Amino acid sequence: MPSVAPHLPWDELIEPGRVHGSLYTDPDIYAAELERIWYRTWVFVGHVSEVPEPNDYVLKSIGPQPVIMSRDRQGEIHLLLNRCTHRANLVCDAPKGNSSAFRCPYHGWTFSNTGKLLGYPFNSGYDGTALKAELGLGRVPRVAQYQGFVFGSFAEEGPTLEEHLGAATDAFDRLVRLSPTGEVELTAGWLQHKCKANWKMLLENETDGYHPQFVHSSIFSVASSGIGDLYGDKSTAVCRDLGNGHTENDLRPEFRRMDQPLGWFGTKPEKVPDYVAQLEAKLGAETAREVLVDGSPHVMVFPNLFIAEIQLFVIQPTAVDETVQHVTAVQYKGAPDMNRRMLQQTIGSVGPAGFLLADDSEMYERNQRGVQARSPEWLTIRRGMHREREDADGFTVGDATDEVPQRAIWKHYRSLMGGAA
Amino acid sequence: MARGGRSGVGELSSEFASVHVSIDLEGNGPRLRVEDLRTGQVGFLDPLELETLAWLPEGALHRFLDPSLHRWRAES
Ligand code: FES
Ligand SMILES: [Fe+2]
Repeated sequence: MPSVAPHLPWDELIEPGRVHGSLYTDPDIYAAELERIWYRTWVFVGHVSEVPEPNDYVLKSIGPQPVIMSRDRQGEIHLLLNRCTHRANLVCDAPKGNSSAFRCPYHGWTFSNTGKLLGYPFNSGYDGTALKAELGLGRVPRVAQYQGFVFGSFAEEGPTLEEHLGAATDAFDRLVRLSPTGEVELTAGWLQHKCKANWKMLLENETDGYHPQFVHSSIFSVASSGIGDLYGDKSTAVCRDLGNGHTENDLRPEFRRMDQPLGWFGTKPEKVPDYVAQLEAKLGAETAREVLVDGSPHVMVFPNLFIAEIQLFVIQPTAVDETVQHVTAVQYKGAPDMNRRMLQQTIGSVGPAGFLLADDSEMYERNQRGVQARSPEWLTIRRGMHREREDADGFTVGDATDEVPQRAIWKHYRSLMGGAA
Repeated sequence: MARGGRSGVGELSSEFASVHVSIDLEGNGPRLRVEDLRTGQVGFLDPLELETLAWLPEGALHRFLDPSLHRWRAES
């Protein structure tokens, strides 16, 4: 793998309370990020429920890298690079399908869905068949799962997935705990939103508790939602540094104060009686109530998976100033009444006529244009520095609108890029 | 196409191939008729051959997916 990472003065570009604007605009920095972050750490790719049957496959990505996620007949999941080993055509083009083998459309080479080269037309053109053993599809060297979420790492060695996720494993555990079967399914399909902004504008915004009252005031008022108040100055909610660049807006203190099952989802148990009954049968009435009061996590898993209560956002950088966001509704396996509502809410907030993502995207693109200005050179991320504190588990937390998450992201970023940890 | 269920003979397509399958009754017994819709090439499979397919181990057909084996065989 080429190592293009230039030796940039990371410690001079990233300070505890401010970051340099060139981090969002410099193509050399973007190239270095691909090598040191996207092609090295664990990156979320897809979910096992997207390839439920043997020989199912879906097209995925790791940053700009095109990836095929396939399930072989034994049930094992593979992450293959979607590049023909002959002259680099895309081997697969359909977003999903079922096939035990793939055939490149350019010159007809065939590959098994585990990546093995099966053959090529008119083989006398090659001296012997030694080629076959050498020219299997490229693969993502390490593949691992947590609660059915499939991650890939281009590094042959390094921290395990669970080491990388660290405290963020709790977000996945909390997410699947809300499902009456203990499993989620990503079967609602993916919307893709392209925006002209650097990927870190999105990463930093996902757990920014300072902007919702401004950027999202229209959806909060249209939906008569109380969510806006959770991100106010009086809120008891906290933002948290979970370590390894993972960050959280923890709204549970507010939800517990209100003590309304499903209040986090803006509904009541009577509206989804089957779901509530299933969850009570599984967890017992008391635990089910607690789980339904606490709600679903709001956690940004570094670098690309945002668990946003009932939706998932996947961040895919495609250029220094271009990012694609892939969005889907969370679905609980075996809970059709709840799933219908989660899908409807997702369409309302991030669908083609949705309010939420459109508002955020407008901010991302304005940010990217604003950061081109020559002065000031820096972005300030000092909010709440004076009131940072440790919670009972030893994590750094701040008030709901503080910039603890942004500082946490940059601290981890700097250590990955080669600055001081 | 929605996931789930099973249907009778008809057309099956992926990004790699398009075939039409039907049950042919021209012979003394039924056969599955498979037509490659991209070329018009037709092949038949009798019940015993089909049963054998159902019992094939993983990847056994992959040998025949080598394009040089039949369809794009070199002249020499
Ligand atoms: S590029 Fe795939 S067969 Fe030639
Ligand atoms: Fe041509």
